[in-house]
Amino acid sequence: MPDTPKHPPFKLIGKNYTTPDLVAKVTGKAKYAEDYRADGMLFAKLLLSPIPHARVRKIDASAALAMPGVKAILTADDMPKPADALTDLGARIPANPLGERGLTNEPVYQGEPILAVCAVDELTCAEAIEKIRIDFERLPHAIDPLETLRPGTPNARVEGNVWIRPPVPKGQQAPPPQVKELKWAEADFAEIEHGRLPMGKLHPDGVDVAPQSDEWSFGDVDEGLKKADLVLDETFTTPNTSHQTLETRTAMAYWQNGKVYVHCSTQSTQPTAPAIARWLGLVDDKGQPDVSRVVIISEYTGGGFGSKITSAISAIIPAILSKKTGAPVMMRVSREEEHFIGRARPSIQGRLKVGFTKEGKITAVDMFVILDNGPYDPQGDANNSGRMLSLMYQPPAMRWRGVTVLTNTPPRLSQSQPGGFQGIALMEPVMSKASRKLGIDQVALHRMNAPEGKAPIGAAPPGGKRAYVTSAYIKEALDRGSEMFEWERRKAMPKRSGTKARGIGVATSCFVGGSVGFDGLFIIKPDGRITVQSGIGNLGTESVTDSHRVVAEVLDIPWEKVEVVWGNTSKNLPNSAPSGGSQTTHAMTRAAWATAHDAKKKLQEIAAKDFGGNPEDYEVARERVFRKGGGSGMTLAQAAKRAIELGGVYDGHEVPAGISPYTKASVQALAGQGLLAVAKDTMPRDGVTHSYVAGFAEVEVDLETGKYRIVDYMAVADVGTIIHPRSLGGQILGRSTLGIGHAIGQKWVYDSHYGIALAKRFHYNKPPTILDVPAKMTWDALDIPDPETPVGARGIGEPPVGAGCCAILNALSDALGDDIFRRAPVNPDTILASLEAGRPMQEQFTAHI
Amino acid sequence: MPEANTGDTPKGLSRRNVIKGVIAAGAVSGAAYLFRGSMVRAGGAAAGSVERLVTLNVNGRERRVDVMKQETLATTLRYKLGLTGTKLGCDRSECGACTVLIDDVPHYSCSILTHTARGKNIVTIEGLAAADGTLHPVQQGVIDEQGFQCAFCMPGFIMATVGFLKVNPNPTREELAHGISGNLCRCQDYDKILTAMMRGAQLSRT
Amino acid sequence: MAIVRDIMPAFELFQPANIPDALSLLDRYGSEAWVLAGGLDSFDWLKDRIKRPKVVVDLSQVSELRGIRDWNGGLEIGSMTTLTEVVRDPRVQAKFSILSTGAEAAASPQIRNQGTIGGNVSQDTRCWYYRGGWKCYRAGGNICFADTPTAINREHAIMGADRCVAVNPSDTAPALIVLDAQMVIRNSHGERTVNAEDYFIGPDIDITHMNVLKPGDLLTAIRIPATWAGAQFYFEKVRDRQVWDFPLLNVASAKFVSGGNVDRIRIAVNAASARPLRLTEVEDFMRGKQPTPQMGDTAGKIAVGPADPLRFNGYKIPMMRNLVKRAISGVEEAKWA
Repeated sequence: MPDTPKHPPFKLIGKNYTTPDLVAKVTGKAKYAEDYRADGMLFAKLLLSPIPHARVRKIDASAALAMPGVKAILTADDMPKPADALTDLGARIPANPLGERGLTNEPVYQGEPILAVCAVDELTCAEAIEKIRIDFERLPHAIDPLETLRPGTPNARVEGNVWIRPPVPKGQQAPPPQVKELKWAEADFAEIEHGRLPMGKLHPDGVDVAPQSDEWSFGDVDEGLKKADLVLDETFTTPNTSHQTLETRTAMAYWQNGKVYVHCSTQSTQPTAPAIARWLGLVDDKGQPDVSRVVIISEYTGGGFGSKITSAISAIIPAILSKKTGAPVMMRVSREEEHFIGRARPSIQGRLKVGFTKEGKITAVDMFVILDNGPYDPQGDANNSGRMLSLMYQPPAMRWRGVTVLTNTPPRLSQSQPGGFQGIALMEPVMSKASRKLGIDQVALHRMNAPEGKAPIGAAPPGGKRAYVTSAYIKEALDRGSEMFEWERRKAMPKRSGTKARGIGVATSCFVGGSVGFDGLFIIKPDGRITVQSGIGNLGTESVTDSHRVVAEVLDIPWEKVEVVWGNTSKNLPNSAPSGGSQTTHAMTRAAWATAHDAKKKLQEIAAKDFGGNPEDYEVARERVFRKGGGSGMTLAQAAKRAIELGGVYDGHEVPAGISPYTKASVQALAGQGLLAVAKDTMPRDGVTHSYVAGFAEVEVDLETGKYRIVDYMAVADVGTIIHPRSLGGQILGRSTLGIGHAIGQKWVYDSHYGIALAKRFHYNKPPTILDVPAKMTWDALDIPDPETPVGARGIGEPPVGAGCCAILNALSDALGDDIFRRAPVNPDTILASLEAGRPMQEQFTAHI
Repeated sequence: MPEANTGDTPKGLSRRNVIKGVIAAGAVSGAAYLFRGSMVRAGGAAAGSVERLVTLNVNGRERRVDVMKQETLATTLRYKLGLTGTKLGCDRSECGACTVLIDDVPHYSCSILTHTARGKNIVTIEGLAAADGTLHPVQQGVIDEQGFQCAFCMPGFIMATVGFLKVNPNPTREELAHGISGNLCRCQDYDKILTAMMRGAQLSRT
Repeated sequence: MAIVRDIMPAFELFQPANIPDALSLLDRYGSEAWVLAGGLDSFDWLKDRIKRPKVVVDLSQVSELRGIRDWNGGLEIGSMTTLTEVVRDPRVQAKFSILSTGAEAAASPQIRNQGTIGGNVSQDTRCWYYRGGWKCYRAGGNICFADTPTAINREHAIMGADRCVAVNPSDTAPALIVLDAQMVIRNSHGERTVNAEDYFIGPDIDITHMNVLKPGDLLTAIRIPATWAGAQFYFEKVRDRQVWDFPLLNVASAKFVSGGNVDRIRIAVNAASARPLRLTEVEDFMRGKQPTPQMGDTAGKIAVGPADPLRFNGYKIPMMRNLVKRAISGVEEAKWA
């Protein structure tokens, strides 16, 4: 194995510490959105559509409005026009005319909010809602994505049943996606009888689509499959799973002096302000969101997992009601409401044809997926499932095809490892089966097909070359994991004893691990302390403070002298990465690094001004800037005072070019308080940043009940330099357990005839409990720095999910053999029925069972 | 139907008042909440009829509070007594975020009527630390191990652990997992939580 | 009328201090009154605003309903005794450990700390159509939504269905049937006792109720005779998640074996039907036979004879067959090296 890079010894990075938010959390003082109170605060509650697809003909709210205590009613007619959205990575997508508006006159799923009632308390709201009469015109509904592709079946929206991306006219922005009707031939569905996913056309005839939007490829797939010694043709289905953050998307809002103050639950602090502005229609004359009119307060958020990247559109409902009523409005979102508006990971039904040589090398992958998108904006999961598969298993040839189908089920949104999870979950059962068919060890099979170094990912853009990653050390993770897990010992153990079967499984998983280009901002105060302005959200990953450890590391100042300001956009924060897609640790350690070096440069310049010589003659350490090798110098406190005297760039009165307008405004507000460090991350990066996890599991199955127990789980992460071991370990095992939930129980259940959700809330959706996982699990991380980022750290939030789920699935297959299950989750019913019948007994193609 | 918008600044709401109000948790919510009449016109007071004004013993203090008949303890704590450390995750006994101790026994405060808890000792997350700010050993265990992520489940987990340790002060990791299994963590940080709670158990014994 | 969930409607609340006061309140308000024990089942109905009682009679202050007392060599358990109290009681553990095991298998620690034995046996079904407010047979309508071509019914009944296919979800019920418990019911006219087996009713008898309680009735205690004290017990519950979840199926058995042969045996399963089922045919078959895995296997087959599965619950047939086998001959545990 080639030598792997090493990071220099650090004083703070890689060490455990107590995060500054923890005492407030353990004493109950930490305030989440629903914990705020305001004088005269009113309450709001939603009226949800009882039917999956309808048109509101008439609303009669007269009896409700006549009730004492009822203050206002908000309907879709009061909502601002559809607004532009921000992606996971902060890119703007132009407003989709078929996008969500928060309230609707054409509900497209059961549970979609139709109106909100505002009253003096929630009980009054509820009683008022019960007095409202709505005249609905029922429209046909579609719950099952495969079913709606059959000829003559209903569409989820009046406009059709699939999303397509139209071609981008030359030199223009991409137009919004469009909904079209796509129906396959009845003959296409004959495949179902053979347990294989039908593969009809990707878009309606005569419709132009953007290149690579529903099909891409690289290499010669046909040739690859032809020369393979083993070709597997497997169909698998991943579940729809609600994010089910423990804190719902509650929000409280009020207006003051033309500004709206929104106390909301959000993954990202600073990036939420433009999102709320846009949803509220608060735009400046250039059409940009007017963030000067929005203040976001979110010091603590009770989980997001991708469902609250920039809070939620529902947060504007109390804001608009507050404007209407002239009082603060709290909209406590109940668990029932959260089930419908709280977002979910979309299911993918996928079919993979994979060729292997007899030695186990993958020769080609032909992938076809159907994404159950729900009724609103098209999700990237279908495309991402192919892209991540192409990275994780490095096929020399691959074709990906995907259809994004609309259904009348709650809106989907990115969930930890969006698309990547589904891609891994479709492929791992193939790896598991190939391992048995070829007689090759699971770890060896994964290892020989794993990426290494600057491995390629995805298809080349038209006329371009394939992209590649910054680094990949997953082979090292597999090696370390096999050793720690004692893979060989476990493999040698018997598989059956008494009424139990035992199996072991390994899975590898990957996802985007960071973005670039954000700003950092901090001040060295005249008392020698540092105040870091953090625009990062506090959703529990601790990146809100972990990232800023870099500042103290670079400047060699004790962490105790660093204060982090966070959680309130009126506190002059810099342009920060949205905390989604595991960008933050990578993006914001880079920004912190760049900003710390800006401070260092300013300190050296100040010293040179006062003591002579060149700035490079000075170094910064031990809370001082001093001449290298000893001699004259000053403390950081003294330098801060000098910065104020010098003014200009030193104390923020002069703003450097290149930083974002948002950061610029914050710098101007903070100018004159000390030595102000500000910088945008413009450092080079060769490749796209991804992180990797290898998961190992052992299960024991009770053959008489179908019930199984996870005996052990372990994960090894390749996420670059470790910043904060305890929070990293929490993420690795926490996100693994989210994945395990997808294997052992989480799902939706619908009665397709009525289009009504049967499984709601925690009880029926079944997120894992503490007793569903081993009482002790283990993790490790390679701590090999990524060569394309100065600190070497990448994000971790995503790849454990696929590793967790698929290590369990593969262990089950190891215990039970092929074809016991063809979809996840796998429960006792499936195992027992299939064992009993000697063939797969799971209904494979019916959605939401 | 909806009235027209009338401008940005709500009447009678000065910036100062709003800010003051936001800081002061525990304001009693709307008036209609308090004065809603009885559902049943009982012919004279029946045995077992319930007074709305009750005295609750919360965190060692007697608190007089006006409680509706159907009000749950979680609502009273959060909206009448300003004790917002107790979280509502599901309001249905399905997550444990609202766990408090009633006479030392962990209960889901979302699923018990406040009137049922009258005359009992109620302890919430706010009542664990000593008056001088010294943390309860179980709280300290979380600090020592950086337990939990988003921490919305944390108050419930801590209260469940404190309650369980009163019955079994020296549990194994597995026993503790069983003891606090009525609490859900959606960051799914169970491993680190158990480590932190085991540390808390250890600190509780010393 | 628009539907809204998660807000409990206002009601009048009474907290009687003794049984006569409780009974008089129940008489006074008749079908408008709702009896509140631990509340874990009740609050779901009330918060969903599906059941709208005008009056709630909270039994929490009736101390005589709580506690475990010696009774005729057996035990009398007050209906308001919590599941945790049942689990921890040394007399229950010593004589009728199957009841502790069953009670501990229910729900979660906090629910067991508040949920009562009376509530656990008297709780309503969890059929997701019925609990979702669908107007089905059980809710007074004329259709079973869980038994249509598109119905999702993996948790529903495999036997004893009559129009409604809901199941009884109690984990303590089969243990009480096995122990030959007697349910003590009081109303303003007096007291009567009903065998645990007869306390539960299927849709063929009353499609809107799961037990024999009528308005005005109060389950005050459960008496467990000495009959089965010291028997060999077996209890097993299969569920999806190890906390909170109701059984996919559970089984309870008690047996006395002499000379290698079964002398006396009782066996019951729950979540297979709208009422917990005592398997008398299996008991008759096993009497005088050796409790071997082979016999258990045959007994299991007898047990599932009447099964008539729905689209998604066929797995319950082998599961019940195997659980019955285990209840007779035990589990063949794995011996890993």
